[in-house]
Amino acid sequence: MTDQIKEQISALLDGELPADQLGLLVRRMERDEGLRRTFGRYALVGETLRAPNGPLASAGFACRVISALDGDPEKPKSAGRTTGSSAGSRRMRWLVGTGVAASVLMAAAMVMNPVNDSPAIVASAPVAVPSVVAVSPQPDLEPRFSGVSPTPEESQRMAGYLVAHSEFATPIGRRNVWSGVLADEPEMSLASYESIEAD
Amino acid sequence: MANFPPSDGSTESHERDHGGRAAAGIEQSDLELVRRAQRGERGAFDLLVLRYQHKVIKLVARLLRDSTEAEDVAQEAFIKAYRALGSFRGDSAFYTWLYRIAVNTARNTMASRQRRPLRYEAGLSETEQAVVATRLQHIDTPEASALTGEIRDVVTRTVEALPEDLSTAIVLREVEGLSYEEIAEAMDCPVGTVRSRIFRAREAIDRNLAPLLSQDE
Repeated sequence: MTDQIKEQISALLDGELPADQLGLLVRRMERDEGLRRTFGRYALVGETLRAPNGPLASAGFACRVISALDGDPEKPKSAGRTTGSSAGSRRMRWLVGTGVAASVLMAAAMVMNPVNDSPAIVASAPVAVPSVVAVSPQPDLEPRFSGVSPTPEESQRMAGYLVAHSEFATPIGRRNVWSGVLADEPEMSLASYESIEAD
Repeated sequence: MANFPPSDGSTESHERDHGGRAAAGIEQSDLELVRRAQRGERGAFDLLVLRYQHKVIKLVARLLRDSTEAEDVAQEAFIKAYRALGSFRGDSAFYTWLYRIAVNTARNTMASRQRRPLRYEAGLSETEQAVVATRLQHIDTPEASALTGEIRDVVTRTVEALPEDLSTAIVLREVEGLSYEEIAEAMDCPVGTVRSRIFRAREAIDRNLAPLLSQDE
């Protein structure tokens, strides 16, 4: 913990931290319990100086509130909706995009495949309407990656998706998501290369 | 039932605690934290809990005239505030809004206390006795009171022992409630120097408090 960060925490407590530094500091403090404790102790110093005779919160009070909030099933109503819907819409856009891409590929394959060029099948190609595939919540319609190495864009999008969904997770859950992303990605690539080699 | 101050009275008391420009800075910073919490950044709300825990407990303890229940009621108030955060539009200061929730929570507690027959510890189940014991352990023990007294002593003594430029800066900020800009004018130095002096004063106090608080944590 550097003095520079602690000076920022001191300025944050006073409402004097520039807005462009606030976001990074808040995220840092979310990850670092030591920084949160520092913020709490600076607040205690101020409170003691301002009102020396009043009762003070016990040392574990804030931790109890934060733990209670962690275990609280009720989330802030609009916040939950906002995050949920944006994450949901991101997921939906991703599915729609994937559905469109899949149906375009399917149509292209059918047009270019000389074996299955019977009029009935060619005519049925447009029936693979992307919106039908995209909006269906059935898990078996999720895109599969077996044997296909994800592009950097796909990996980034998947990581963003996982992070968006881990916003409300407990710290342990968040760690699991991140460790999952970090641990899984090389395996995914390895599996893909292996399958390519096998081919 | 006791008469409570009107809900907008909090603004006055809040502004008595802080100078105008300093209060505006804190309100702006609170609003930024609220917006982040509304977008799902839980850490931002945690900081609001850390900032206002002592104020809310003081307020609730004063209203209930019973410090044993103050932390439970304050905790309930913070949870209610978190759940209702989506309805906070920023028309008033966050603390004013939180103050109103804390007053109402304390009021409900007092109303239910009047409805509920007086119970003695002898009639409590083991679980209830454990809950009472935990509450008392947190606030009412002589050790806790002694710790609070020691904290005050350490803070006061450290501020007195600080170099004058640091003690003036921290007193103007925390006791007089001036903004950094106002302190810079009063002390005839740049705002950056004020920020650094206040931080160094806090650090010095914190270093002396650390041994006390590490026993309690």
